[in-house]
Amino acid sequence: MVPSLGNFSLWLALCFAIFQFVISCKKNNKSTLYFNKIAVNGLLLCTFLSFLSLMYSYLVSDFSVVNVFQNSHTTKPLLYKIAAVWGNHEGSMLLWILVLAIFNYFIFKLYNKTNSIFISKTLETQAFVTIGFLLFTLLTSNPFERIIPVPTNGLGFNPILQDPALAIHPPLLYIGYVGFSAAFSFSISAMSTESIEKVPWYNYMKPFVLAAWTFLTIGIAFGSIWAYYELGWGGWWFWDPVENASFMPWLLGTALVHSLVTVEKKMMLQKWVLLLAILAFLLSVVGTFLVRSGILTSVHTFALDPARGIYILIFIGILGAYSLILFALNSKKFLDKNYVSFLSREGSILVNNIIMIVVCSSVFLGTIYPLIIEAFSNNKISVGEPYFNSTVVPIVIPAILIMGVVPLLSWKKIDVKKIFRKTLPSIVLTIIVTTIFLWIYQSYNPLGLIGIFLACWVISNIVFKQNNIPKFSKSMVMAHIGISLLILGVTGSSVWQKEKIIRMKINDETIIHNYNIIFKEIKEVVGKNYIALQGNFWIYNNKKSIITKLNPENRFYPVTNNSTTEASIHTNLLRDLYIVLGDGNEKDGWVVRVYYNPLVAWIWIGAFVIFLGGLFSINTNLKIVKRLSI
Amino acid sequence: MAKTLLSIVIIFVMIQFISKNSYSVEPEEFLQNPKQEMRARNISKNIRCLVCQNQSIDDSSAPLAKDLRTLIRIKVQENDTDEEIYKFLTDRYGDFILLKPPFKISTFLLWSLPFVFVIIGIFILFIHNKKSKKLS
Amino acid sequence: MKKKILIFPFIAFLFILIVFFYLLVIERDPSELPSVLIDKKIPTFEAESLLNKKTFISKNEFGTETTLVNFFATWCGPCRDEHVYLKRLSNEKGLKIIGVNYKDDPNKTVEWLKELGNPYSDVIVDSKGLIGIDWGVYGIPETYIVNSKGIIKYRLVGPITKKNYNAFYSKIKESEY
Repeated sequence: MVPSLGNFSLWLALCFAIFQFVISCKKNNKSTLYFNKIAVNGLLLCTFLSFLSLMYSYLVSDFSVVNVFQNSHTTKPLLYKIAAVWGNHEGSMLLWILVLAIFNYFIFKLYNKTNSIFISKTLETQAFVTIGFLLFTLLTSNPFERIIPVPTNGLGFNPILQDPALAIHPPLLYIGYVGFSAAFSFSISAMSTESIEKVPWYNYMKPFVLAAWTFLTIGIAFGSIWAYYELGWGGWWFWDPVENASFMPWLLGTALVHSLVTVEKKMMLQKWVLLLAILAFLLSVVGTFLVRSGILTSVHTFALDPARGIYILIFIGILGAYSLILFALNSKKFLDKNYVSFLSREGSILVNNIIMIVVCSSVFLGTIYPLIIEAFSNNKISVGEPYFNSTVVPIVIPAILIMGVVPLLSWKKIDVKKIFRKTLPSIVLTIIVTTIFLWIYQSYNPLGLIGIFLACWVISNIVFKQNNIPKFSKSMVMAHIGISLLILGVTGSSVWQKEKIIRMKINDETIIHNYNIIFKEIKEVVGKNYIALQGNFWIYNNKKSIITKLNPENRFYPVTNNSTTEASIHTNLLRDLYIVLGDGNEKDGWVVRVYYNPLVAWIWIGAFVIFLGGLFSINTNLKIVKRLSI
Repeated sequence: MAKTLLSIVIIFVMIQFISKNSYSVEPEEFLQNPKQEMRARNISKNIRCLVCQNQSIDDSSAPLAKDLRTLIRIKVQENDTDEEIYKFLTDRYGDFILLKPPFKISTFLLWSLPFVFVIIGIFILFIHNKKSKKLS
Repeated sequence: MKKKILIFPFIAFLFILIVFFYLLVIERDPSELPSVLIDKKIPTFEAESLLNKKTFISKNEFGTETTLVNFFATWCGPCRDEHVYLKRLSNEKGLKIIGVNYKDDPNKTVEWLKELGNPYSDVIVDSKGLIGIDWGVYGIPETYIVNSKGIIKYRLVGPITKKNYNAFYSKIKESEY
């Protein structure tokens, strides 16, 4: 009954979306508002109902629903039954649609006397996008399909996927992707509305872009956190195509946020905003395409189904063709007040835009190049980590250098000598702090030097902000500090990492960077749904006092016949100590991999600080929008 | 049809995992000479594990990865150059086995376009700056 | 010139779209690796023969008739499944099939062949998988079609099944041209 309700509500949602599209096409003001109210609320209600129906089916383990059967199991803990709702292709599409409907509702709330045509057009575009996703879900990926006879239990029990970070990762990402759909709709609407100069379209777009970007940041961070803690390689980013698919919208989103600020303050870079809003969303949908079409394989891909791929591709084609041709034709009516000069805040933002786009293009190129080669020849090449590291890192370095100088730049041209005088204290502080770091970690790798220098540079400049420089917001400070901390963590954990792989017998001892590790014991451990071989290691510092006991495990889950490696990690602000247990036996000893990972915690702290900064910024911008809507 | 293909691929890939479960490079594989060992590991880090998803043979637990790691160490000890070892592998498995794409005519765009984008970017900056000077 | 630049994003977009569309429409397996040995002479090797009491020298065994080279092992499930089709190719079509026993126990192989039947004119032992590496094998079973001139013309990755049997046999016939 409930699944049928879910299916029915989803079809009803489609009707509301089509209704919203048709209504918003028309120009009549009074009834447009009234009918859109019905459409928007109806759409939201129906998608909510549909989503809750699916969740209910999971919670009661209704295996008559194919989706529940494939992805759940009676022994699954409650939290993961809920997470399983969006942890599969069909369910995640339902979540996409729910978030689309929620953002659609918020767009509707912006209506007032002056902007009704603009908002209507935005709702029209948003409705079109929603219709596309609804049709895709209903016709090719319906989560409410039934199976008869009803199986007694489900298949869904991959233990690697039962993790809190992984559970929350998709919803956060989808808020990101779908948030960009709102930006896309605003962009199309702005380009299609007559007398758009009277409407502060950029003010309306900004909170949505901020929401998208902020949640995308934290969504990506959780994915990396999961990879680091779960996968047992001490790595947190692998330039996997699907990881890249989330990174590219983030890069464009960063450029978009900064460009919106420039439009607000100086009425410059309008075309950039319009184009970036389109591209960020297109890349989000292309990311969806790459994961679900079967065009490439990856750890992350959901299902290999070219038919679905063709559908999404046609949808991308329509959205992209319409928006990009509209951009080519109509963006010229957005006249900027002036062109951007180098030594100004808007100049640095333009530089940042270009760097973000260059990095995004490189990542995009690296990701799809193997596909292009495959289409044109019989060869297959692979583009892996070395390519991305060698193209992305050199380009990002100047971006961070500039980010450091920004607090000192005002919204107009500035004197070079003045800037240099102002930065002198920061330069000194940066050099001092960098030297301290190098002394602690005793590593003189040039990349490490650059990374730490950049992080300190940004923070020092913020610390030394003086009174006669232009104001900048709390949120910007937080976000920039967050990025510096992130760079600190990224640099430390990659450049200064130490690894030791040895075979140890019981009571053997090994040393890594001033820590003594003694292999105390190996024993069998029984968990809730697994049996494991656990190694007990005691860690001592150089003063011979014990710091911690680490217990890595190799688990075997009988129900799915799966094995996993559980690393054991001791974290503090200076470093992580990371141990993984390998194969072995009593006689020969066991393979033990120990990692000394400096500053890893700062990656997560940095991401979280950015997230907080983003939240503050959303709050500030919502207040601005509220004032406009009166 | 797609599902059958998928199951075949999965079974086929799992074959690589049925035998002993090792967790990437093992201590016994290490060469005595640390310089040679460093070389071998650096080469391995650039070789893709063909039966894994996006891992190098240095990181992978697959038997084929281990075989290739062993082969590379033998060749390093025989004083083959890095290029000779890479050629040995690409002659048999194609360019796909390299994680860092080779510099060839077919990958010319891949390596040059980022650089081209940077130049275009600098060009845009200059035009903006010049035009802003004119107007002010 | 400035205005014309604005159309560039659309052009790039269109190009990428067409490439993706093409890749989806053709039949391909994204995880399959094409063999770089196609249209090249077979790698020469010498190995211990399991069935005949002599060394297997590749120079002597290829270059006269169309031959299949099948990499297999007793621990490989799909190899067991495809065995019946190998027998068909050997018995019904009279094809010469050389088996390469990949990283296996020769005693187990002898028993395996006794149990399932032997489609191979000879079986060679590749205990370390080095012959496999020379042929670019990355997972078994894999079957290579070598034509009468000793040139590799095709590689099948994965087992011969009911679904691909006919197509595979067509490839065998085509290999002579």
